[in-house]
Amino acid sequence: MGSSGASGDLSGEMEVDAFRRLFPLRFYERHLLESVRPDARPLGRARDTTVALGAVATADGSAMAKIGCTTMLAAIKLEVMTPPLDSSDEGSVAIDFHMPPICSPIVRPGRPAEVAPVVSKQLSDAIISSGMINLKELSLVSGKAAWMAYLDIYCLDADGALFDAALLAAVAAFSHLQIPAVTVNDDGRVVIMSGENEEGKLLKDPVNKEKRKLTLTCIPFSLTCILHKNYILADPTAEEESVMETPVTVVLDSSSRLVSLYKPGGPVLAYMSAVQDCVALTRQRVKELQKILSDAISDMEVD
Amino acid sequence: MEFVSPEGLRLDGRRPMEMRQIRAQIGVVAKADGSASFEMGNTKVIAAVYGPREVQNRSQQISDQALVRCEYSMANFSTGDRMRKPKGDRRSMEISLVICQTMEACILTHLMPRSQIDIFVQVLQADGGTRSACINAATLALADAGIPMCDLITSCSAGYLNSTPLLDLNYVEDSAGGPDVTVGILSKSDKVTLLQMDAKLPMDIFENVMQLAIEGCKAVANYIREILLENTKQLEYRRGR
Repeated sequence: MGSSGASGDLSGEMEVDAFRRLFPLRFYERHLLESVRPDARPLGRARDTTVALGAVATADGSAMAKIGCTTMLAAIKLEVMTPPLDSSDEGSVAIDFHMPPICSPIVRPGRPAEVAPVVSKQLSDAIISSGMINLKELSLVSGKAAWMAYLDIYCLDADGALFDAALLAAVAAFSHLQIPAVTVNDDGRVVIMSGENEEGKLLKDPVNKEKRKLTLTCIPFSLTCILHKNYILADPTAEEESVMETPVTVVLDSSSRLVSLYKPGGPVLAYMSAVQDCVALTRQRVKELQKILSDAISDMEVD
Repeated sequence: MEFVSPEGLRLDGRRPMEMRQIRAQIGVVAKADGSASFEMGNTKVIAAVYGPREVQNRSQQISDQALVRCEYSMANFSTGDRMRKPKGDRRSMEISLVICQTMEACILTHLMPRSQIDIFVQVLQADGGTRSACINAATLALADAGIPMCDLITSCSAGYLNSTPLLDLNYVEDSAGGPDVTVGILSKSDKVTLLQMDAKLPMDIFENVMQLAIEGCKAVANYIREILLENTKQLEYRRGR
């Protein structure tokens, strides 16, 4: 299996790997004609996805999500802050996405990845606009103290569909987050309750009686598709993303309402039908992801 | 504060000469030429090696050798309190330099002139001994990348608290203010490439502590060799021999 493309402008036979490197677009188009991709997936199927909660022991909530080879590690750390005057009974969430140099050969120490701040902003917008987190649950003492949740997501391996994996890891980390039990001591500072009340110490009423989890409504899930001519490929790898440059990211919440749609330009101009096909693919994917996430949560609770 | 109880147990229940549990895995980053994750107790580190590849900055190219670069960075959530500046601060730059120079000692750079070998280390959880875990992870990653080396470099730390030499300090013991000796050796030839110590220590006790750290390095080297052998067997098996 080594002949050149249908146009036959390359004489003789060539090895598959060389053809893949030299003529990537033709290599992919040969596969798309048979409605299959080089890793034997049909066009609409996403890669194997796994979620593991509690990956980082030092964080208040953490998760590791893997879609194919793309690996994301998300961890949430809670700190106490004074809420601003206009939202005095709400906490706050700060989301940051990092691509350290280990994740990909294109990221180098002096040259950070261009895509990292873009994904960071997309994530921030998607999570906050979906209304998944009720910020009032992060409040401690109205007007005086509230939780600031710092969510840091690290990409450990970048193989396409970064936004999908990052969103999945973020959502899983929030499902795993446990707010510690705290009290406010005499100086007005918030202290973590260590378990049993010490005798002889005057403690005000505990602000948080026991560790609790956040209630998450409308959890967002996403799917990135790539458009090429009239093909739609779901969940692209890094190679596919670099060859065919028109990504479309659709974010739906758990009741299949559209949270966000992102098509940042690209050579392919999409008709509405293509966009609707992407949304339909995403709807299927949301069901898969919901099952994977709830399995991971119930595994944690069994332990 | 008591770091060694009268029965001879440390804060986490280990004996003074006992190392923490080590776990290593090769090939954790699919995109990298070589990668490994290394855990020493609660300290978790991932190392990825990219190279030999073209030199990024032409002016730094060396005509008869490969250029070795290393970057050490800690995740924001790796320590107890969230870190504001995970890289670019003085400690990270110093450790980057230390790892770079240590690994350069064993890579046969003259075989790959005009190229660059990048070693990136990311700390996911820090509980003392991050420097040693990084060097061990980097050794495994370099071996996974197939970069020619003259020997395996392994590293371990040891300290001296409550008049007892302690092997493999964790964060609490490390921040106790006692001496902390980090040693990196070439495992087969028993040569020391890295030796760092802070705080005061009399010479004869220093020799004991250093000897203890070297024993720790040898134990790590045995484990690393097992992991590499296992990995090679798997590769052979998959190749169908």
